[in-house]
Amino acid sequence: MDELLLDVQDLSTHFMTHAGVVKAVNGVSFTLHRNETIGIVGESGSGKTVAALSLLRLVPDPPGKIVEGKILLKGRDLREVSNEEIRAVRGNDIAMIFQDPMTSLNPVFKVGMQIAEAIMLHQDKSRRDAWRMAAELLAKVGIPDAESRVNQYPFEFSGGMRQRAMIAMAISCNPDILIADEPTTALDVTIQAQIIDVVREMQAQYNSGVILITHDLGVVAEIADKVMVMYGGRTVEYGPIDEIFYNPHHPYTWGLLGSLPRLDLVEKERLTPIKGQPPDLLMLPPGCPFSGRCGYERPDECPLTMPDTEIVGPEHGVRCWIPNDERVSARSELPRFVARSK
Amino acid sequence: MSFLEVRDLKKHFPIRTGILKRTTGHVYAVDGISFSIEEGETLGIVGESGCGKSTAARVILRLLEATAGSVVYDGIDVMKASRVEMQRLRRDMQIIFQDPYASLNPRMRVRNIIGEPLRIHQIGTPAERRQRVIELLETVGLNAEHAERYPHEFSGGQRQRIGVARALALNPRLIICDEPVSALDVSIRAQVINLLEDLQDQFKLTYVFIAHDLSVVKHTSDRVVVMYLGKTVEIASSDVLYDRPQHPYTEALLSAVPIPDPETERNRRRIVLEGDVPSPTKPPAGCVFHPRCQRAQEVCETAMPPLECTGDAGADHMVACYFATRYEGVPKRDAPSKDTGEAPAR
Repeated sequence: MDELLLDVQDLSTHFMTHAGVVKAVNGVSFTLHRNETIGIVGESGSGKTVAALSLLRLVPDPPGKIVEGKILLKGRDLREVSNEEIRAVRGNDIAMIFQDPMTSLNPVFKVGMQIAEAIMLHQDKSRRDAWRMAAELLAKVGIPDAESRVNQYPFEFSGGMRQRAMIAMAISCNPDILIADEPTTALDVTIQAQIIDVVREMQAQYNSGVILITHDLGVVAEIADKVMVMYGGRTVEYGPIDEIFYNPHHPYTWGLLGSLPRLDLVEKERLTPIKGQPPDLLMLPPGCPFSGRCGYERPDECPLTMPDTEIVGPEHGVRCWIPNDERVSARSELPRFVARSK
Repeated sequence: MSFLEVRDLKKHFPIRTGILKRTTGHVYAVDGISFSIEEGETLGIVGESGCGKSTAARVILRLLEATAGSVVYDGIDVMKASRVEMQRLRRDMQIIFQDPYASLNPRMRVRNIIGEPLRIHQIGTPAERRQRVIELLETVGLNAEHAERYPHEFSGGQRQRIGVARALALNPRLIICDEPVSALDVSIRAQVINLLEDLQDQFKLTYVFIAHDLSVVKHTSDRVVVMYLGKTVEIASSDVLYDRPQHPYTEALLSAVPIPDPETERNRRRIVLEGDVPSPTKPPAGCVFHPRCQRAQEVCETAMPPLECTGDAGADHMVACYFATRYEGVPKRDAPSKDTGEAPAR
């Protein structure tokens, strides 16, 4: 196994609001190695973005606060380091690509300037060198005519090109870890395919670890090595990609897989949606956040206490009160998995 | 005669610049699309952002006036209908919008939002309308107590249900669903898709289903229109389109959709298109897709290929390409050469 880059242990980030405490991230643990891609999957409000922001201590405080846990970057706990040190980590060791390339670039600075800024901040480079590097980086992420493009403003770039520019900025300091927060959600599918290719190439070139945050299981299936499924601030299931898709153990993971229309299936089957509405984060039960929508729940256990992680396969854990054998038999009755269990 | 017949529909928006607001160019948002829909059918329209699918929806409903072309609904020419006729037509043709946050007035109670179409069309007494609103709420899976609330009290999926209830209020026959699920979370998306399917069965509705998500369109539609830069590039029944796409753009679009199955993903060959969609203010000459097309040859730069049936995958499979993909057992069609002038003018 490649070098361990990041070891997150029991991370909890809460927001103290007037209405009460929102437990946006609640005891989340995962690891990331070099050359590895982890997909963090969940719906809006599941805490996946807050988890990523917490790694860089970018959660606004107040109201947000990392209340518990360790964020070990190559053994160093990022919760303990000074503000100055974390600034050196941001962009240099861990870089982030945001969802919306329209709003995450500054409209009044030239694209080249924005990339050069990061280079000058973290590396001992002259302005001229930084600009030259900016042009090289733009060319590297596949922007044609990069020499003149560095002198343009973001509005002169298309959506896909802006996202490429964001990637160029993120890789400018050769980071060990690249966090991509919904990098393709705002883009069309043909552009999405291009961006996924760029991320993949950059990862191969720099041997980085990639944290991919997305709600799109298709994108995850395409590039992730392992997956963490989040719901209501909790990790409900994690495991290698094939385990999550072919041997999922949590009812929420079943729900996610069952509610997707599939392009590759000939049969038109009726979708099996997850019933109910997304949870109100202010009123999560102390136990499993999915109880109430689950359909298999045990009223005297599920909403009251969160189960411990049960290991159900190689590197594959699930947090669910339903006993293993009952889970497997319940799953085999779902339409998607009847066809699959050949 | 089909239920809805769209013929060579065009919508060009003028670009006005300077203090005199002189027209200096046009956005060719919809540039000659034709299709027909049978009653009870779902027709999907797919394409990337800016391809003109939403504009097409608005022009069909005459929320925007067309630049050219005709829309015939049940024998009536919608583009030429008078004000009075139009008001009657609007009862039959409704729309569900993409963004359930922007399409409901935040200052109106749900009962007024859903009841508004009834009030405008002067249907029933106030008491009857109230009853009808409750009926509609129940039809879309909400209940009577939701009527007194405001939109902000609902989640995205519930709001979209309110939008659906409003569209159903006048017992329409045709509903245009403009990206009805793209703003929703995956688990909620499936609920709304299932709801739309149930309502179609229950009320014998005809849908035009617009989406950029090909898997959603495949799931919901009987036939699919693929649009690119204001033009129709391919029309086929949804199974055929996904199984045997003929247009290189359709092929690229299909192969770009990630499939939530790691095994399939590992074994799949993807066609990654280069570059971006050109601006609709300056569509390329000839075939609009040729600058990004791997099959493009000289002829593609001179004239847009006509949308025609290649007799390949059945009579209802139409494609606009000189070099459309052929499938087994079908004779090759010769590409028109430039000097014989066979290629039709744009």
